[in-house]
Amino acid sequence: MFRNQYDSDVTVWSPQGRLHQVEYAMAAVKLGTATVGLKNRDYAVLVALCKPASELSASQRKIIPIDDHLGISIAGITADARVLSKYLRSECLSYKHSYGSTYPVSRLITNLGNKMQTTTQRYDRRPYGVGLLIAGYDEKGPHIYKVEPSANFFNCKAMTIGSRSQSARTYLERHLSTFNASSKDDIICHGIHAIRSSLPNDELVSKDDGGSQLNITVAIVGKDQPFKILSDEENLHYLEMAKKRGGSIIVSKDDDDDDKPSPGDSEEPAPSTARDPQVAVATMENP
Amino acid sequence: MSTIGTGYDLSASQFSPDGRVFQIDYASKAVEKSGTVIGIRGMNCVVLAVEKIITDQLYEPDAASRIFTIEQNIGMAIAGLMADGNYIADIARQEAANFRGQFQRTIPLKNLCDRVSAYIHAYTLYSAVRPFGLSVIFASWSETEGPQLYKIEPSGTSFGYYACASGKAKQQAKTEMEKFKFADMTTDELVRSGGKIIYQVHDELKDKDFRYEMGIVGKETNGIHLINPESWTQLAVEAGEAAKNADDSENEI
Amino acid sequence: MMNNSFAQPMWQNGPAPGQFYNFIGGGYNNGAPAQLPRELTTCGPYGTKHSTAAITTGSSVLGIKFDGGVLVAADTLVSYGSLARYQNIDRVFKINDKILIGGSGDFADIQSIMRNIEQKMIEDQCCNDGVVMKPKAMATWMTRVLYNRRSRMNPLYIDVVVGGIDEGGAPYLGSVDLRGRAYDDYVVATGFARHLALPLVRERKPKDRDFTFEEATNLIREAMKVLYYRDTRSMPRYTVGICTAANCSIKGPFKVEENWTFAETVKGY
Repeated sequence: MFRNQYDSDVTVWSPQGRLHQVEYAMAAVKLGTATVGLKNRDYAVLVALCKPASELSASQRKIIPIDDHLGISIAGITADARVLSKYLRSECLSYKHSYGSTYPVSRLITNLGNKMQTTTQRYDRRPYGVGLLIAGYDEKGPHIYKVEPSANFFNCKAMTIGSRSQSARTYLERHLSTFNASSKDDIICHGIHAIRSSLPNDELVSKDDGGSQLNITVAIVGKDQPFKILSDEENLHYLEMAKKRGGSIIVSKDDDDDDKPSPGDSEEPAPSTARDPQVAVATMENP
Repeated sequence: MSTIGTGYDLSASQFSPDGRVFQIDYASKAVEKSGTVIGIRGMNCVVLAVEKIITDQLYEPDAASRIFTIEQNIGMAIAGLMADGNYIADIARQEAANFRGQFQRTIPLKNLCDRVSAYIHAYTLYSAVRPFGLSVIFASWSETEGPQLYKIEPSGTSFGYYACASGKAKQQAKTEMEKFKFADMTTDELVRSGGKIIYQVHDELKDKDFRYEMGIVGKETNGIHLINPESWTQLAVEAGEAAKNADDSENEI
Repeated sequence: MMNNSFAQPMWQNGPAPGQFYNFIGGGYNNGAPAQLPRELTTCGPYGTKHSTAAITTGSSVLGIKFDGGVLVAADTLVSYGSLARYQNIDRVFKINDKILIGGSGDFADIQSIMRNIEQKMIEDQCCNDGVVMKPKAMATWMTRVLYNRRSRMNPLYIDVVVGGIDEGGAPYLGSVDLRGRAYDDYVVATGFARHLALPLVRERKPKDRDFTFEEATNLIREAMKVLYYRDTRSMPRYTVGICTAANCSIKGPFKVEENWTFAETVKGY
């Protein structure tokens, strides 16, 4: 088997100007379960899918509160996410101590990005193997940011990362124009719909029929609304609401996705292709 | 590059037998994949212009902006890795702050460029780090120094320019730029030609949509570096669209 | 922002990556842990002597809140002991479109903290996100700095008034002193104005409403007059900072309307 000699260290550029180690770290994000972030005029919402590792375990926490105005949702290596969330928390706390106000989201993310960048340039480090969706609210309104292991970060209208997130992305793209004007309830339902579309069809059906709810976590932050992870009762409430509102739309859309997977998006690359994921870090082409 | 694969191209601290440091060349390849960025220097003004290729429609328009403000009157544009660019912007701001702390004045662009290129160069000396995949363009204007324009390469070399380009369509942009005489241009003319060049070198077939981003600093901005100021951006975009349409109709004939 | 502490030294006795370059006075000490500035370190084995008094000083600052904004006034004198050394120095500073600061106490310390603040404002501009610092945040930050310094037994000998328009458009007016004591109110003052101007202003405060702009300006005029008559370290010349939601600027210098005809009647000294 051909062995790529340029992919062993993060300090080595390939002749094509790529950083394979960073690209492989980007692939780690796709191993995590899907998570969705979206916002309307006043609120930012995170929805995450939590699958227990085994029948006997509870699922990993997917959404981590950082501060009253900010929280993150993760996909990838959870332990790495905890390092980053510790950093974010201490930054927010020290900002609050210094200025008595909340850290502007964009500045916090820029600093996080710069912290992560150093791990993509040093022999003795590896990039963080986790993607983050950040929901925050500051004086400029609600924000959704995506942060990648490559230390790139993007201000987003809506975003989804994690395994099988392509279907959720399709949903988001289709409804993107309606998000800004929609209500708080609507935006949460949209989030739930998006995440449901990333479930395999059979799983979706069994969950729905069994009456048990999807294993999801929902968090919201916004105007006069400190960052909050919804309780089980609220979850159930919104799941019911989402089901009532758009069950039919969802099912038909799921069929869409399964019938004709778009050629460009090889989500969940097969092991053979996994060694060379098409993640162009430099030009930030679509993964 | 027959040396590829011979093992002399795996470390920034290693020369190949014919005297090259391949890791730097490879880092430059990352720059060449990035959207085009240009800097042009007029009579009383400097314009930075970026072809920001839109990679995802879920992003906000301002996501992954490639123009930064370093000091009140210093702008920076990058081609290459976004993450490296953000990091270098931070370094440049620290250097500017350090200079201000010592001398209580804005850092002259030449000094800033020297310091940042020294920093970038340091990353080409050790095997423990990789060179920055980054080309940086600095622009400034001040009453005493006038318009200034510098560019740093991934190797850490830097020069002053009348006009410069980096990224995908660097060569094309250079060819386009040679047609103009920027040094005599007023602010509005300069802004328009910035728009023209970026729109003309944009490859519609290879890349989908792009967003025109600009930074401007000069007499008419009161020596403040502005990013995407509304009226000037509109001026540039209109000029760019017009130039592109003219090109297209020419091709049809 | 601006945090380069992530780059750790790579190996013992070697230069850290990126710190190979070294500038005169740049303070890059090849990978050794960053040294605190001397004024922030604790005392050495034989003790350390810090300054125990202000040298060149500005006298009072007076700030008054009105409906829709704040006024901050200070005379233009900086004294060297009892010498009226510098007579044309603005002691009210416009920080950005939302913040005014009036400084009294050691003027060198004021200038030093102003340089810090100026750098902060540039960092705000660099972020290009339209977020600017608000007076409440500024006052909080000043409190942290001043309290920190006093806790190291090395205070900045200053007493400042911070005013402006806070988040949501409400006026904010507060004061921080060299020991990090801080409070906010509709009228704050430092130096002699604390004794002379505060009661004057409080006396006129309507119970049910804020001052109007006109009332506030009249009060400033009157208070600055009283201060000039009574405070030996003052001058009949002052500047006034005005900050409203629409505008933030420094006006003046204005003259105190002085009248010394009564002096003839003063007897017995």
